[in-house]
Amino acid sequence: MSMGLFVSDLRFDEETLTRIEASKLGVFFVENGVYHAVLKEDGKSSPFLDKAGANFYVLNEDLETRGFTGDDVDGRAKVIDMGELVDLIMGDYEKLGWL
Amino acid sequence: MGTLTIGTFASLVGSMNLDFVVKLSETALDKGHEVNLWLSGNAIMLVNKDQKEFKDYSHPGIGLPTLIEKGLKVVVCDACAMARGVPKENAIEGTKFTSMEWYIAYGAKGDRMLHVGG
Repeated sequence: MSMGLFVSDLRFDEETLTRIEASKLGVFFVENGVYHAVLKEDGKSSPFLDKAGANFYVLNEDLETRGFTGDDVDGRAKVIDMGELVDLIMGDYEKLGWL
Repeated sequence: MGTLTIGTFASLVGSMNLDFVVKLSETALDKGHEVNLWLSGNAIMLVNKDQKEFKDYSHPGIGLPTLIEKGLKVVVCDACAMARGVPKENAIEGTKFTSMEWYIAYGAKGDRMLHVGG
């Protein structure tokens, strides 16, 4: 089963993500979740980005709203627009979740 | 093209989730998908037609009539609306009021279901 998981906040509740098993996993950073892809704490990036095998996406408009650009984003995450987000969830990820 | 069913109980004020849901719905509609939007809890305030728009204040409901014209199905939890004093007469035209069974049924038969928290 493929799964797309939305992360909309900066809470470090990565335990949920750790427990999720999917044949294909996409993590969508939206709203305040985009901070996972751009901030570091004590030199360390978000543990969310350590989920092995996952594809990471950051919503561009939420990134720009918070004063960031694609240059600020961790290399493991891809910046996408809302249209690409729709294509991904309707085409690539069978089940969807929201953290 | 597919069918996306979105459910949310996020507040109109104090959360960006409804803004996200409306933008996602609009984009999916523009791409030719069918979109069903279930509103429960405080999210039902999105359909209140008497809202005032303030400067520097998020107002995702203002574009809702246009999205309904484009085909967006907006369905409100009847009990949630009654509990908050929002009768059908105060709702944006085209909004449907019903019970949660609708959400479960449409979520089950659609291609994708996304439940957005508060």
